[in-house]
Amino acid sequence: MKLRMVFIILISLAICISSLYIGPKIINPFSMEALDKDILLSIRLPRMLTAMLIGMALGASGAILQGILRNPLADPYILGISGGASLMAVIGIVFGVGYGGFFSIPFLAFIGAILTGTVVGIISYKRGIFWHTRLLLAGIGIGFLFSALVMLILGISTNEGLRRAMLWMFGELSMSDWNNIPYGFFFILIGLLISLSRSKGLNALMLGDELAWNLGFNPSKERIILFISVCLMVAASVSLGGTIGFVGLLMPHIIRMSIGTDNRFLIPLSSLVGGALLCFADLIGRTLFSPMELPAGIITALLGAPYFLYLLRKKDIIGG
Amino acid sequence: MNPVTTLELNKVSFSYNKSPFIEELSLILNNGEFVCIMGPNASGKSTLLKISAGMIKPLSGSIMLWGNNIHQYKGKDRAKLISYLPQMLDISIPLKVKDIVQMGFYPYDIPPELDIDKALDMVGLLDKKEMYINQLSGGEVRRVFFAMTLVQGAGIVLLDEPLANLDIKYQIEIIKLLRGIVKKRDITVLMAIHDLNLALQFDRVILIKDGKIIGDGKPENVLNEYNLQMIFDIDIKVLHYNNGKTSIRYD
Repeated sequence: MKLRMVFIILISLAICISSLYIGPKIINPFSMEALDKDILLSIRLPRMLTAMLIGMALGASGAILQGILRNPLADPYILGISGGASLMAVIGIVFGVGYGGFFSIPFLAFIGAILTGTVVGIISYKRGIFWHTRLLLAGIGIGFLFSALVMLILGISTNEGLRRAMLWMFGELSMSDWNNIPYGFFFILIGLLISLSRSKGLNALMLGDELAWNLGFNPSKERIILFISVCLMVAASVSLGGTIGFVGLLMPHIIRMSIGTDNRFLIPLSSLVGGALLCFADLIGRTLFSPMELPAGIITALLGAPYFLYLLRKKDIIGG
Repeated sequence: MNPVTTLELNKVSFSYNKSPFIEELSLILNNGEFVCIMGPNASGKSTLLKISAGMIKPLSGSIMLWGNNIHQYKGKDRAKLISYLPQMLDISIPLKVKDIVQMGFYPYDIPPELDIDKALDMVGLLDKKEMYINQLSGGEVRRVFFAMTLVQGAGIVLLDEPLANLDIKYQIEIIKLLRGIVKKRDITVLMAIHDLNLALQFDRVILIKDGKIIGDGKPENVLNEYNLQMIFDIDIKVLHYNNGKTSIRYD
Protein backbone atom coordinates (compact mmCIF):
# COMPACT_ATOMS: atom_id res chain seq x y z
CA MET A 1 0.00 0.00 0.00
CA LYS A 2 2.88 2.38 0.76
CA LEU A 3 4.27 1.76 -2.69
CA ARG A 4 0.88 2.49 -4.18
CA MET A 5 0.67 5.79 -2.31
CA VAL A 6 4.12 6.87 -3.50
CA PHE A 7 3.10 5.96 -7.03
CA ILE A 8 -0.12 8.01 -6.78
CA ILE A 9 1.80 11.01 -5.41
CA LEU A 10 4.45 10.89 -8.15
CA ILE A 11 1.92 10.56 -10.97
CA SER A 12 -0.10 13.48 -9.59
CA LEU A 13 2.92 15.75 -9.37
CA ALA A 14 4.02 14.73 -12.85
CA ILE A 15 0.60 15.63 -14.27
CA CYS A 16 0.61 19.04 -12.59
CA ILE A 17 4.09 19.93 -13.80
CA SER A 18 3.58 18.70 -17.34
CA SER A 19 0.36 20.72 -17.62
CA LEU A 20 2.61 23.78 -17.50
CA TYR A 21 4.44 22.82 -20.69
CA ILE A 22 1.70 21.19 -22.72
CA GLY A 23 -1.12 23.14 -24.32
CA PRO A 24 -2.11 24.75 -27.61
CA LYS A 25 1.56 25.77 -27.72
CA ILE A 26 4.04 23.17 -26.49
CA ILE A 27 6.83 24.74 -24.45
CA ASN A 28 10.21 23.08 -24.30
CA PRO A 29 11.40 23.55 -20.71
CA PHE A 30 15.05 23.34 -21.78
CA SER A 31 15.04 26.06 -24.43
CA MET A 32 12.52 28.75 -23.65
CA GLU A 33 12.18 31.92 -25.65
CA ALA A 34 11.00 35.18 -24.08
CA LEU A 35 7.44 34.58 -25.30
CA ASP A 36 7.44 31.06 -23.83
CA LYS A 37 8.55 32.42 -20.47
CA ASP A 38 5.81 34.99 -20.64
CA ILE A 39 3.13 32.38 -21.40
CA LEU A 40 4.46 30.13 -18.68
CA LEU A 41 4.66 32.73 -15.94
CA SER A 42 1.66 34.93 -16.63
CA ILE A 43 -0.83 32.42 -18.05
CA ARG A 44 0.01 28.76 -17.45
CA LEU A 45 1.49 28.90 -13.96
CA PRO A 46 -1.31 30.91 -12.33
CA ARG A 47 -3.84 28.72 -14.13
CA MET A 48 -2.16 25.53 -13.03
CA LEU A 49 -1.92 26.76 -9.44
CA THR A 50 -5.57 27.83 -9.46
CA ALA A 51 -6.69 24.46 -10.82
CA MET A 52 -4.53 22.64 -8.33
CA LEU A 53 -5.73 24.70 -5.35
CA ILE A 54 -9.39 24.23 -6.30
CA GLY A 55 -8.95 20.50 -6.89
CA MET A 56 -7.07 20.08 -3.62
CA ALA A 57 -9.72 21.95 -1.66
CA LEU A 58 -12.53 19.93 -3.26
CA GLY A 59 -10.85 16.53 -2.86
CA ALA A 60 -10.09 17.12 0.80
CA SER A 61 -13.44 18.66 1.72
CA GLY A 62 -15.34 15.88 -0.06
CA ALA A 63 -13.51 13.26 2.00
CA ILE A 64 -14.11 15.18 5.23
CA LEU A 65 -17.79 15.82 4.57
CA GLN A 66 -18.51 12.20 3.64
CA GLY A 67 -17.00 11.36 7.02
CA ILE A 68 -18.71 13.91 9.23
CA LEU A 69 -22.09 13.60 7.50
CA ARG A 70 -21.74 9.79 7.38
CA ASN A 71 -23.04 9.97 3.85
CA PRO A 72 -21.28 8.70 0.72
CA LEU A 73 -23.28 11.15 -1.43
CA ALA A 74 -21.96 14.24 0.33
CA ASP A 75 -19.98 16.60 -1.86
CA PRO A 76 -18.44 19.97 -0.99
CA TYR A 77 -21.42 21.80 -2.47
CA ILE A 78 -24.07 19.96 -0.45
CA LEU A 79 -23.84 22.34 2.50
CA GLY A 80 -25.09 25.34 0.55
CA ILE A 81 -21.76 27.11 0.98
CA SER A 82 -21.25 27.28 -2.77
CA GLY A 83 -24.87 28.44 -3.16
CA GLY A 84 -24.08 31.44 -0.97
CA ALA A 85 -20.96 32.09 -3.02
CA SER A 86 -22.88 31.84 -6.31
CA LEU A 87 -25.60 34.20 -5.11
CA MET A 88 -23.12 36.89 -4.10
CA ALA A 89 -21.05 36.37 -7.25
CA VAL A 90 -24.08 36.57 -9.53
CA ILE A 91 -25.30 39.72 -7.80
CA GLY A 92 -21.83 41.15 -8.29
CA ILE A 93 -21.69 40.16 -11.97
CA VAL A 94 -25.13 41.58 -12.70
CA PHE A 95 -24.21 44.84 -10.98
CA GLY A 96 -21.00 44.98 -12.95
CA VAL A 97 -18.41 44.29 -10.27
CA GLY A 98 -15.07 43.35 -11.86
CA TYR A 99 -12.69 40.45 -11.31
CA GLY A 100 -9.64 42.47 -10.31
CA GLY A 101 -8.88 44.51 -7.22
CA PHE A 102 -9.96 43.92 -3.66
CA PHE A 103 -13.73 44.41 -4.04
CA SER A 104 -14.10 41.82 -6.78
CA ILE A 105 -16.23 38.83 -7.73
CA PRO A 106 -13.94 36.36 -5.90
CA PHE A 107 -14.11 38.55 -2.80
CA LEU A 108 -17.92 38.65 -2.92
CA ALA A 109 -18.08 34.90 -3.47
CA PHE A 110 -15.80 34.27 -0.51
CA ILE A 111 -17.89 36.48 1.77
CA GLY A 112 -21.10 34.77 0.56
CA ALA A 113 -19.62 31.33 1.27
CA ILE A 114 -18.38 32.18 4.75
CA LEU A 115 -21.67 33.84 5.74
CA THR A 116 -23.64 30.84 4.48
CA GLY A 117 -21.34 28.42 6.29
CA THR A 118 -21.88 30.36 9.50
CA VAL A 119 -25.68 30.32 9.14
CA VAL A 120 -25.74 26.58 8.32
CA GLY A 121 -23.47 25.92 11.30
CA ILE A 122 -25.66 27.91 13.68
CA ILE A 123 -28.81 26.10 12.51
CA SER A 124 -27.10 22.75 13.17
CA TYR A 125 -26.02 23.55 16.71
CA LYS A 126 -28.66 22.86 19.31
CA ARG A 127 -28.61 21.87 22.97
CA GLY A 128 -24.83 21.67 23.02
CA ILE A 129 -24.63 19.21 20.16
CA PHE A 130 -23.56 19.73 16.56
CA TRP A 131 -26.01 17.45 14.73
CA HIS A 132 -24.82 15.93 11.48
CA THR A 133 -28.29 15.29 10.03
CA ARG A 134 -29.27 18.87 10.82
CA LEU A 135 -26.11 20.04 9.10
CA LEU A 136 -26.95 18.09 5.97
CA LEU A 137 -30.59 19.20 5.86
CA ALA A 138 -29.80 22.83 6.70
CA GLY A 139 -27.22 22.84 3.89
CA ILE A 140 -29.65 21.38 1.37
CA GLY A 141 -32.40 23.81 2.44
CA ILE A 142 -30.19 26.86 2.13
CA GLY A 143 -28.80 25.56 -1.15
CA PHE A 144 -32.30 25.39 -2.63
CA LEU A 145 -33.17 28.85 -1.37
CA PHE A 146 -30.03 30.36 -2.89
CA SER A 147 -30.32 28.61 -6.22
CA ALA A 148 -33.89 29.90 -6.49
CA LEU A 149 -32.63 33.42 -5.80
CA VAL A 150 -29.86 33.00 -8.38
CA MET A 151 -32.41 31.85 -10.98
CA LEU A 152 -34.60 34.82 -10.10
CA ILE A 153 -31.73 37.26 -10.62
CA LEU A 154 -30.65 35.56 -13.85
CA GLY A 155 -34.24 35.61 -15.08
CA ILE A 156 -34.43 39.37 -14.87
CA SER A 157 -30.87 40.18 -15.95
CA THR A 158 -29.52 41.23 -19.35
CA ASN A 159 -27.96 38.86 -21.87
CA GLU A 160 -24.33 39.72 -21.23
CA GLY A 161 -24.67 39.46 -17.45
CA LEU A 162 -26.52 36.17 -17.90
CA ARG A 163 -23.78 34.64 -20.07
CA ARG A 164 -21.00 35.68 -17.71
CA ALA A 165 -22.88 34.49 -14.66
CA MET A 166 -23.58 31.11 -16.27
CA LEU A 167 -19.90 30.72 -17.19
CA TRP A 168 -18.91 31.55 -13.64
CA MET A 169 -21.28 28.96 -12.23
CA PHE A 170 -19.96 26.24 -14.53
CA GLY A 171 -16.52 26.77 -13.15
CA GLU A 172 -14.16 28.92 -15.09
CA LEU A 173 -10.41 28.81 -14.96
CA SER A 174 -9.69 31.12 -17.89
CA MET A 175 -9.96 34.19 -15.68
CA SER A 176 -7.18 32.92 -13.39
CA ASP A 177 -4.44 35.39 -12.65
CA TRP A 178 -1.99 35.95 -9.86
CA ASN A 179 -4.26 38.33 -7.91
CA ASN A 180 -6.35 35.78 -6.05
CA ILE A 181 -3.90 32.91 -5.72
CA PRO A 182 -2.23 34.10 -2.48
CA TYR A 183 -5.63 34.42 -0.74
CA GLY A 184 -6.82 31.06 -2.05
CA PHE A 185 -3.55 29.42 -1.07
CA PHE A 186 -3.73 30.90 2.42
CA PHE A 187 -7.26 29.72 3.24
CA ILE A 188 -6.93 26.32 1.57
CA LEU A 189 -3.65 25.66 3.36
CA ILE A 190 -5.21 26.56 6.72
CA GLY A 191 -8.21 24.34 5.99
CA LEU A 192 -5.97 21.43 5.00
CA LEU A 193 -3.77 21.77 8.05
CA ILE A 194 -6.76 21.91 10.40
CA SER A 195 -8.36 18.85 8.83
CA LEU A 196 -5.12 16.86 8.82
CA SER A 197 -4.60 17.60 12.50
CA ARG A 198 -8.12 16.26 13.14
CA SER A 199 -7.99 13.20 10.90
CA LYS A 200 -7.82 10.76 13.86
CA GLY A 201 -10.96 12.35 15.26
CA LEU A 202 -12.66 11.90 11.90
CA ASN A 203 -11.65 8.23 11.87
CA ALA A 204 -13.16 7.80 15.31
CA LEU A 205 -16.37 9.56 14.21
CA MET A 206 -16.81 6.89 11.54
CA LEU A 207 -17.47 4.40 14.35
CA GLY A 208 -20.31 6.59 15.64
CA ASP A 209 -20.43 9.36 18.22
CA GLU A 210 -20.41 7.13 21.29
CA LEU A 211 -17.30 5.24 20.25
CA ALA A 212 -15.58 8.47 19.24
CA TRP A 213 -16.37 9.73 22.71
CA ASN A 214 -15.04 6.49 24.20
CA LEU A 215 -11.73 7.10 22.44
CA GLY A 216 -11.42 10.51 24.09
CA PHE A 217 -12.89 12.76 21.38
CA ASN A 218 -15.75 15.22 21.80
CA PRO A 219 -17.84 14.40 18.69
CA SER A 220 -19.51 17.83 18.40
CA LYS A 221 -16.24 19.67 18.84
CA GLU A 222 -14.46 17.52 16.25
CA ARG A 223 -17.34 18.01 13.82
CA ILE A 224 -17.41 21.79 14.26
CA ILE A 225 -13.66 22.11 13.72
CA LEU A 226 -13.77 19.91 10.62
CA PHE A 227 -16.80 21.84 9.34
CA ILE A 228 -14.88 25.11 9.71
CA SER A 229 -11.96 23.66 7.76
CA VAL A 230 -14.37 22.61 4.98
CA CYS A 231 -15.99 26.08 4.95
CA LEU A 232 -12.62 27.76 4.50
CA MET A 233 -11.54 25.43 1.71
CA VAL A 234 -14.83 25.45 -0.20
CA ALA A 235 -15.21 29.22 0.13
CA ALA A 236 -11.69 29.76 -1.18
CA SER A 237 -12.11 27.28 -4.03
CA VAL A 238 -15.49 28.62 -5.16
CA SER A 239 -14.15 32.15 -5.17
CA LEU A 240 -11.14 31.08 -7.23
CA GLY A 241 -13.06 29.31 -9.98
CA GLY A 242 -16.76 28.82 -9.38
CA THR A 243 -18.32 25.43 -8.81
CA ILE A 244 -16.66 22.41 -10.36
CA GLY A 245 -18.44 19.10 -10.07
CA PHE A 246 -17.26 15.53 -9.66
CA VAL A 247 -13.88 16.08 -7.95
CA GLY A 248 -15.26 16.51 -4.46
CA LEU A 249 -17.90 13.81 -4.72
CA LEU A 250 -16.08 10.95 -6.37
CA MET A 251 -12.37 11.54 -5.82
CA PRO A 252 -12.56 10.48 -2.15
CA HIS A 253 -14.32 7.26 -3.22
CA ILE A 254 -11.71 6.46 -5.83
CA ILE A 255 -8.90 7.00 -3.31
CA ARG A 256 -10.76 4.98 -0.65
CA MET A 257 -11.06 2.09 -3.07
CA SER A 258 -7.34 2.11 -3.72
CA ILE A 259 -5.81 2.87 -0.30
CA GLY A 260 -8.59 2.35 2.27
CA THR A 261 -10.65 4.45 4.64
CA ASP A 262 -8.02 5.85 7.02
CA ASN A 263 -8.54 9.62 6.87
CA ARG A 264 -4.92 10.32 7.79
CA PHE A 265 -4.02 9.17 4.28
CA LEU A 266 -7.36 9.65 2.56
CA ILE A 267 -7.55 13.43 3.10
CA PRO A 268 -4.09 14.34 1.77
CA LEU A 269 -4.24 11.90 -1.14
CA SER A 270 -7.76 12.80 -2.19
CA SER A 271 -6.64 16.40 -2.07
CA LEU A 272 -3.51 15.87 -4.15
CA VAL A 273 -5.19 13.67 -6.76
CA GLY A 274 -8.13 16.10 -6.89
CA GLY A 275 -5.65 18.86 -7.69
CA ALA A 276 -3.93 16.77 -10.35
CA LEU A 277 -7.22 15.72 -11.95
CA LEU A 278 -8.33 19.31 -12.27
CA CYS A 279 -4.98 20.33 -13.78
CA PHE A 280 -5.30 17.50 -16.27
CA ALA A 281 -8.94 18.33 -17.05
CA ASP A 282 -8.02 21.95 -17.62
CA LEU A 283 -5.14 20.92 -19.87
CA ILE A 284 -7.51 18.90 -22.04
CA GLY A 285 -10.20 21.59 -21.89
CA ARG A 286 -7.92 24.32 -23.21
CA THR A 287 -6.01 22.15 -25.72
CA LEU A 288 -8.47 19.81 -27.38
CA PHE A 289 -10.58 22.31 -29.33
CA SER A 290 -8.19 25.25 -29.12
CA PRO A 291 -8.78 28.18 -29.33
CA MET A 292 -12.21 27.26 -27.96
CA GLU A 293 -12.12 26.23 -24.30
CA LEU A 294 -14.23 23.62 -22.53
CA PRO A 295 -14.97 24.21 -18.83
CA ALA A 296 -12.79 21.99 -16.64
CA GLY A 297 -15.82 20.75 -14.68
CA ILE A 298 -17.20 19.03 -17.78
CA ILE A 299 -13.92 17.25 -18.46
CA THR A 300 -13.50 16.07 -14.85
CA ALA A 301 -16.89 14.40 -15.04
CA LEU A 302 -16.30 12.92 -18.51
CA LEU A 303 -12.96 11.42 -17.42
CA GLY A 304 -13.71 10.51 -13.87
CA ALA A 305 -17.20 9.06 -14.05
CA PRO A 306 -16.37 6.06 -16.27
CA TYR A 307 -13.29 5.24 -14.18
CA PHE A 308 -15.36 5.49 -11.02
CA LEU A 309 -18.03 3.18 -12.45
CA TYR A 310 -15.34 0.69 -13.47
CA LEU A 311 -13.96 0.65 -9.89
CA LEU A 312 -17.45 0.36 -8.46
CA ARG A 313 -18.07 -2.73 -10.57
CA LYS A 314 -14.70 -4.29 -9.78
CA LYS A 315 -14.48 -3.85 -6.01
CA ASP A 316 -16.36 -5.95 -3.46
CA ILE A 317 -16.29 -3.49 -0.61
CA ILE A 318 -17.62 0.00 -1.12
CA GLY A 319 -16.57 2.65 1.35
CA GLY A 320 -18.18 5.82 2.54
CA MET B 1 -6.13 -7.97 50.01
CA ASN B 2 -8.48 -5.04 50.32
CA PRO B 3 -10.49 -4.19 47.23
CA VAL B 4 -9.44 -0.98 45.44
CA THR B 5 -12.28 1.32 44.44
CA THR B 6 -12.03 2.25 40.78
CA LEU B 7 -15.37 3.90 40.11
CA GLU B 8 -17.75 5.47 42.57
CA LEU B 9 -21.16 7.04 41.97
CA ASN B 10 -22.28 9.34 44.79
CA LYS B 11 -26.00 10.15 45.03
CA VAL B 12 -26.35 10.59 41.29
CA SER B 13 -29.64 12.00 39.97
CA PHE B 14 -30.67 12.39 36.37
CA SER B 15 -33.80 13.04 34.30
CA TYR B 16 -34.47 13.18 30.57
CA ASN B 17 -37.47 15.47 30.95
CA LYS B 18 -38.94 16.90 34.13
CA SER B 19 -39.80 13.75 36.07
CA PRO B 20 -36.74 12.23 37.80
CA PHE B 21 -35.41 9.08 36.13
CA ILE B 22 -32.51 8.22 38.38
CA GLU B 23 -32.66 9.52 41.94
CA GLU B 24 -29.71 9.68 44.36
CA LEU B 25 -28.17 6.46 43.15
CA SER B 26 -24.89 5.37 44.71
CA LEU B 27 -22.62 2.56 43.55
CA ILE B 28 -19.03 1.45 44.09
CA LEU B 29 -17.01 -0.72 41.71
CA ASN B 30 -13.79 -2.36 42.82
CA ASN B 31 -10.79 -3.49 40.85
CA GLY B 32 -11.04 -6.95 39.28
CA GLU B 33 -14.81 -7.27 39.63
CA PHE B 34 -16.94 -8.92 36.96
CA VAL B 35 -20.33 -7.30 37.41
CA CYS B 36 -23.60 -7.37 35.52
CA ILE B 37 -26.51 -5.01 35.76
CA MET B 38 -30.05 -6.25 35.12
CA GLY B 39 -33.49 -4.75 34.97
CA PRO B 40 -36.52 -4.47 32.72
CA ASN B 41 -36.51 -2.24 29.65
CA ALA B 42 -36.36 1.47 30.46
CA SER B 43 -35.20 0.72 34.01
CA GLY B 44 -32.18 2.99 33.57
CA LYS B 45 -29.42 0.45 32.72
CA SER B 46 -28.14 2.28 29.66
CA THR B 47 -28.47 5.68 31.30
CA LEU B 48 -26.57 4.43 34.32
CA LEU B 49 -23.76 3.12 32.12
CA LYS B 50 -23.55 6.38 30.18
CA ILE B 51 -23.48 8.39 33.40
CA SER B 52 -20.79 6.08 34.80
CA ALA B 53 -18.74 6.61 31.65
CA GLY B 54 -19.06 10.38 32.06
CA MET B 55 -20.85 10.62 28.72
CA ILE B 56 -23.92 12.29 30.17
CA LYS B 57 -23.67 14.61 33.13
CA PRO B 58 -25.93 13.94 36.12
CA LEU B 59 -28.10 16.78 37.41
CA SER B 60 -26.61 16.28 40.85
CA GLY B 61 -24.16 13.94 42.53
CA SER B 62 -20.67 13.02 41.41
CA ILE B 63 -18.80 10.24 39.62
CA MET B 64 -15.33 9.57 40.94
CA LEU B 65 -12.88 7.75 38.70
CA TRP B 66 -9.80 6.63 40.62
CA GLY B 67 -10.63 9.25 43.26
CA ASN B 68 -11.05 12.18 40.88
CA ASN B 69 -14.21 13.63 39.39
CA ILE B 70 -14.66 12.04 35.97
CA HIS B 71 -15.68 15.33 34.35
CA GLN B 72 -12.39 16.92 35.31
CA TYR B 73 -10.35 14.52 33.18
CA LYS B 74 -9.31 15.49 29.69
CA GLY B 75 -11.01 13.27 27.09
CA LYS B 76 -7.85 11.35 26.24
CA ASP B 77 -6.81 10.83 29.85
CA ARG B 78 -10.26 9.56 30.72
CA ALA B 79 -10.19 7.19 27.73
CA LYS B 80 -7.05 5.54 29.13
CA LEU B 81 -8.89 4.69 32.37
CA ILE B 82 -12.45 3.85 31.40
CA SER B 83 -14.03 2.63 28.19
CA TYR B 84 -17.61 2.26 27.10
CA LEU B 85 -19.05 0.20 24.26
CA PRO B 86 -22.59 1.07 23.15
CA GLN B 87 -25.22 -1.56 22.44
CA MET B 88 -25.41 -0.67 18.76
CA LEU B 89 -22.07 -0.94 17.03
CA ASP B 90 -22.13 0.96 13.76
CA ILE B 91 -20.39 -1.05 11.08
CA SER B 92 -21.91 0.71 8.07
CA ILE B 93 -18.48 2.02 7.06
CA PRO B 94 -16.28 -0.84 5.88
CA LEU B 95 -13.17 -0.51 8.01
CA LYS B 96 -10.65 -3.32 8.32
CA VAL B 97 -10.56 -5.23 11.58
CA LYS B 98 -6.98 -4.13 12.29
CA ASP B 99 -7.87 -0.48 11.59
CA ILE B 100 -10.62 -0.53 14.21
CA VAL B 101 -8.44 -2.23 16.81
CA GLN B 102 -5.67 0.25 16.05
CA MET B 103 -7.96 3.14 17.00
CA GLY B 104 -7.57 1.95 20.59
CA PHE B 105 -4.18 3.71 20.46
CA TYR B 106 -5.73 7.11 19.71
CA PRO B 107 -5.78 8.38 23.31
CA TYR B 108 -2.03 7.77 23.53
CA ASP B 109 0.92 9.77 22.28
CA ILE B 110 3.25 6.89 23.10
CA PRO B 111 1.49 3.57 22.37
CA PRO B 112 1.13 1.23 25.40
CA GLU B 113 2.59 -2.30 25.52
CA LEU B 114 -0.25 -4.35 24.06
CA ASP B 115 -0.06 -4.54 20.29
CA ILE B 116 -2.83 -5.16 17.78
CA ASP B 117 -1.84 -8.77 17.14
CA LYS B 118 -1.81 -9.67 20.82
CA ALA B 119 -5.18 -8.03 21.39
CA LEU B 120 -6.71 -9.82 18.40
CA ASP B 121 -5.18 -13.08 19.57
CA MET B 122 -6.81 -12.63 23.00
CA VAL B 123 -10.25 -12.38 21.42
CA GLY B 124 -9.43 -15.20 18.99
CA LEU B 125 -9.59 -13.15 15.79
CA LEU B 126 -5.96 -12.92 14.74
CA ASP B 127 -6.72 -14.72 11.48
CA LYS B 128 -9.40 -12.13 10.59
CA LYS B 129 -7.07 -9.15 10.98
CA GLU B 130 -7.18 -8.13 7.31
CA MET B 131 -10.93 -8.68 6.86
CA TYR B 132 -13.54 -5.96 6.72
CA ILE B 133 -15.75 -5.49 9.75
CA ASN B 134 -18.96 -5.99 7.75
CA GLN B 135 -17.77 -9.42 6.64
CA LEU B 136 -17.85 -10.74 10.21
CA SER B 137 -20.62 -12.32 12.30
CA GLY B 138 -22.35 -10.40 15.10
CA GLY B 139 -20.29 -12.13 17.79
CA GLU B 140 -17.05 -11.49 15.93
CA VAL B 141 -17.91 -7.79 15.53
CA ARG B 142 -18.31 -7.57 19.32
CA ARG B 143 -14.96 -9.24 19.80
CA VAL B 144 -13.24 -6.80 17.43
CA PHE B 145 -14.44 -3.94 19.61
CA PHE B 146 -13.32 -5.78 22.77
CA ALA B 147 -9.89 -6.00 21.17
CA MET B 148 -10.00 -2.24 20.58
CA THR B 149 -10.87 -1.77 24.25
CA LEU B 150 -7.95 -3.99 25.26
CA VAL B 151 -5.57 -1.90 23.17
CA GLN B 152 -7.12 1.20 24.72
CA GLY B 153 -5.93 -0.27 28.01
CA ALA B 154 -8.67 1.09 30.28
CA GLY B 155 -8.97 -0.61 33.65
CA ILE B 156 -12.74 -0.24 33.71
CA VAL B 157 -14.87 -1.49 30.83
CA LEU B 158 -18.58 -0.64 30.59
CA LEU B 159 -20.60 -2.65 28.09
CA ASP B 160 -24.19 -1.94 27.13
CA GLU B 161 -25.90 -5.24 26.30
CA PRO B 162 -22.97 -6.84 24.47
CA LEU B 163 -24.94 -10.10 24.24
CA ALA B 164 -28.04 -8.68 22.54
CA ASN B 165 -28.94 -10.38 19.26
CA LEU B 166 -26.35 -13.11 19.68
CA ASP B 167 -26.99 -16.85 19.64
CA ILE B 168 -26.65 -18.50 23.04
CA LYS B 169 -23.40 -20.13 21.90
CA TYR B 170 -21.81 -16.74 21.23
CA GLN B 171 -23.27 -15.31 24.44
CA ILE B 172 -21.52 -17.98 26.49
CA GLU B 173 -18.34 -17.59 24.45
CA ILE B 174 -18.24 -13.85 25.11
CA ILE B 175 -18.90 -14.23 28.83
CA LYS B 176 -16.06 -16.77 29.05
CA LEU B 177 -13.78 -14.52 27.06
CA LEU B 178 -14.52 -11.46 29.20
CA ARG B 179 -14.17 -13.39 32.44
CA GLY B 180 -10.77 -14.64 31.28
CA ILE B 181 -9.69 -11.11 30.39
CA VAL B 182 -10.87 -9.74 33.75
CA LYS B 183 -8.68 -12.33 35.51
CA LYS B 184 -5.68 -12.00 33.24
CA ARG B 185 -5.53 -8.21 33.11
CA ASP B 186 -7.10 -7.41 36.48
CA ILE B 187 -9.73 -5.06 35.04
CA THR B 188 -13.28 -4.25 36.12
CA VAL B 189 -16.17 -5.09 33.81
CA LEU B 190 -19.69 -3.75 34.27
CA MET B 191 -22.16 -4.91 31.64
CA ALA B 192 -25.90 -4.73 31.12
CA ILE B 193 -27.45 -8.10 30.27
CA HIS B 194 -30.90 -9.64 29.96
CA ASP B 195 -30.52 -13.38 30.53
CA LEU B 196 -31.13 -14.37 34.16
CA ASN B 197 -29.21 -17.64 33.86
CA LEU B 198 -26.18 -15.92 32.42
CA ALA B 199 -26.28 -13.51 35.37
CA LEU B 200 -25.38 -16.49 37.58
CA GLN B 201 -21.93 -16.48 35.94
CA PHE B 202 -20.93 -13.09 37.38
CA ASP B 203 -19.15 -12.17 40.64
CA ARG B 204 -21.77 -9.60 41.40
CA VAL B 205 -25.24 -8.71 40.14
CA ILE B 206 -26.88 -5.30 40.38
CA LEU B 207 -30.66 -5.24 39.97
CA ILE B 208 -32.21 -1.99 38.90
CA LYS B 209 -35.81 -0.82 38.43
CA ASP B 210 -37.19 2.68 37.82
CA GLY B 211 -33.72 4.14 38.25
CA LYS B 212 -33.22 2.60 41.72
CA ILE B 213 -30.96 -0.24 42.82
CA ILE B 214 -33.14 -3.05 44.16
CA GLY B 215 -30.44 -5.58 44.88
CA ASP B 216 -26.65 -5.67 44.75
CA GLY B 217 -24.41 -8.61 45.66
CA LYS B 218 -23.42 -12.16 44.79
CA PRO B 219 -25.83 -13.75 42.30
CA GLU B 220 -26.99 -16.44 44.73
CA ASN B 221 -28.01 -13.76 47.22
CA VAL B 222 -29.54 -11.26 44.84
CA LEU B 223 -31.26 -13.48 42.31
CA ASN B 224 -34.01 -14.72 44.62
CA GLU B 225 -37.65 -15.17 43.78
CA TYR B 226 -38.75 -12.14 45.78
CA ASN B 227 -36.42 -9.72 43.99
CA LEU B 228 -36.99 -11.14 40.54
CA GLN B 229 -40.76 -11.13 40.79
CA MET B 230 -40.70 -7.56 41.98
CA ILE B 231 -38.45 -6.44 39.16
CA PHE B 232 -39.87 -8.32 36.22
CA ASP B 233 -43.53 -8.67 37.30
CA ILE B 234 -43.71 -12.37 36.40
CA ASP B 235 -43.70 -15.67 38.27
CA ILE B 236 -40.14 -16.86 38.62
CA LYS B 237 -38.75 -20.04 40.18
CA VAL B 238 -35.12 -20.32 41.28
CA LEU B 239 -34.17 -24.00 41.19
CA HIS B 240 -31.22 -25.35 43.20
CA TYR B 241 -29.91 -28.72 42.04
CA ASN B 242 -28.11 -31.36 44.10
CA ASN B 243 -24.87 -30.78 42.21
CA GLY B 244 -24.75 -27.23 43.59
CA LYS B 245 -25.88 -25.60 40.36
CA THR B 246 -28.73 -23.16 40.10
CA SER B 247 -31.12 -22.30 37.31
CA ILE B 248 -33.92 -19.82 36.92
CA ARG B 249 -37.25 -20.68 35.32
CA TYR B 250 -40.16 -18.50 34.40
CA ASP B 251 -43.56 -19.36 32.97
